[in-house]
Amino acid sequence: MKKIDKSVADAYYREKNKYILLFLSIWFVVSFGVVLFADSLQFEVPILGFPFHYFMGAQGSIVTFIILLFINAKVSDRIDQKYGIDEGANEQISYGKTVDH
Amino acid sequence: MENSQFFVSLTLILITFGIYIGIAIYNKARQTSDFYVASRGVPPVFNGMAIGADWMSAASFIGMAGTVMLLGYDGLAYIMGWTGGYLLLTFLLAPQLRKYGRYTVPEFIGDRYGSHTARVIAAICTIIISFTYSVGQLSGSGVVIGRLLEVDARIGTLIGVVLIAFYAAFGGMKGITWTQVAQYIILITAYLIPVIFMSLQITNNPLPWLSYGQVVSELGELDRQLGLSEYFAPFENGTRWQFLALMFTLMAGTAGLPHVIVRFYTVSTMKAARWSGAWALLFIGLLYLSAPAYAAFSRFILMTNVVGQPIDDLPAWTETWLNTNLLQIADTNNDGILQWSEIMISNDIVVMATPEIANLGVFVIGLMAAGAMAAALSTAGGLMIAISSSFAHDIYYRVLRPNATDSNRLAVGRITIVGATVLAGIIALDPPGAITQIVAWAFALASGTFFPALLLGVWWRRANGPGVIAGMLVGLIVTLSYIFAVRFGGFSIAGIIDTGAGVFGAASAIFTIVVVSLLTKTPSQEVQDEVKDLRYPEQMTYKNGDVWMK
Repeated sequence: MKKIDKSVADAYYREKNKYILLFLSIWFVVSFGVVLFADSLQFEVPILGFPFHYFMGAQGSIVTFIILLFINAKVSDRIDQKYGIDEGANEQISYGKTVDH
Repeated sequence: MENSQFFVSLTLILITFGIYIGIAIYNKARQTSDFYVASRGVPPVFNGMAIGADWMSAASFIGMAGTVMLLGYDGLAYIMGWTGGYLLLTFLLAPQLRKYGRYTVPEFIGDRYGSHTARVIAAICTIIISFTYSVGQLSGSGVVIGRLLEVDARIGTLIGVVLIAFYAAFGGMKGITWTQVAQYIILITAYLIPVIFMSLQITNNPLPWLSYGQVVSELGELDRQLGLSEYFAPFENGTRWQFLALMFTLMAGTAGLPHVIVRFYTVSTMKAARWSGAWALLFIGLLYLSAPAYAAFSRFILMTNVVGQPIDDLPAWTETWLNTNLLQIADTNNDGILQWSEIMISNDIVVMATPEIANLGVFVIGLMAAGAMAAALSTAGGLMIAISSSFAHDIYYRVLRPNATDSNRLAVGRITIVGATVLAGIIALDPPGAITQIVAWAFALASGTFFPALLLGVWWRRANGPGVIAGMLVGLIVTLSYIFAVRFGGFSIAGIIDTGAGVFGAASAIFTIVVVSLLTKTPSQEVQDEVKDLRYPEQMTYKNGDVWMK
């Protein structure tokens, strides 16, 4: 077990949070944001033929949600890698670590 | 014809049940840990499918497309709410809860806040929420079995009770995880085949997701001609604030539902939790992206093939549904022609009637039956495990009998499942509300209690025991009072009705936790360190102000 510099550990935490904040802002805009202004967002979506607000509610927001989740998983893996985290070691540590009272 | 349909449906249902039960027996749980969380060895893709099956209930499978069809744009709050919650769950809660490593949600709350009282309140909340939800599932499965086997809905409910009690009690979580993977595959196949055929028939395009946009626009045109408000016009069936409140309630409720969270305990690491969440929403999204297509196609067929026909000469499929009273027509102006305003449709028939509307034959109808049953049973199974773990583990073992043996606890868990299923079945014989409504109450309660308690428990180390006890109680009381005030007192704020109650519950609970925590003692250094530790992956440990790497 070796000690990690405080600034490195903080940087890890900040970097993760920065992305979560970014993803949640996008999440908010495509769902709550579009609903708030639904009345003025009724122009037609090219090719698909929906009015925009309906398209966002039925497809656009959901596809965005799915993409955000996969990007998050990928980005988190990359951050872990950058800080030298080894998934094999994680598995070993968490295996059987569960506290059973 | 009637008979051959009965045998095809029955055979398909029995074959699929045989598969589920076979898997459950094969994986028969032996240890306590297997019973509740499946040994934490389920790969993310399959865990994603299991979460999907757990998640997509009778309400999603049978009711949602119909809800969107009847409510138009306003029904999309359900679509966005029930998918968007996975972001809150996967970003803010699931990996951290996985690292904390407990068997149940009440266990997390009890240990994180260092309070037995909080644990018991959380266990009781879990039981209330999961029980409410399972009443909806059982009455849904009763309707499906009743309609397809042409027996009374009550007998259908009883058949469902026996099946759920059997495999939840004997399979435990491990049996259920793999059973649910099978259930997901069956239910999504059953859901997609009819909508793809409808898309081909109406638009000549086998991909409903690309083709129904045009149909939505045409529906708006048809509505204009009839002098109705357009299908896609926003906020026709409720205020903007109701839409937003409902969407928030469903999202926060998703992030706080114990039977969904426990799924994230079945993965190996924080990383696996993130991937499980992503896969889960992909698999769930397939159904939620298709529901509005069902809605648009069904409405289009109704408006073009049924409306405008002589009342005496309606398509053959209408007859069976007219007999059930789920479809009603009345020639109010006595002109012998059916008008749009003369039809009354229950939202539950849209998906179930689709194979008949599109003339897809007995096999597809049987498949729909099997799919709907898979949806109802898989969710009910997960709910029963949540109820049983809360009672057997958090209340019986942690509070009543701390020295109970493993086999003793397993037995109590199984008895709880059987008891809870039977009780829920009895209530489901005469349900207190529509299925979607019952389900929405469960979500409102989860967003008023667990969502605030878990969110602050993970992200705010100053939150303490007295704070969370007060917060969960206030959230529970505010949510329940609002639901009752709307339903029985005609009360509402900004047009927000009972289904949007979670927004008030969550706000008041968060406020209470913050205020009471600040007024009472700071949590011990040990607890604060544990919370800080959740910021880092498993390999890093936070201790006494330093981070250590293994």
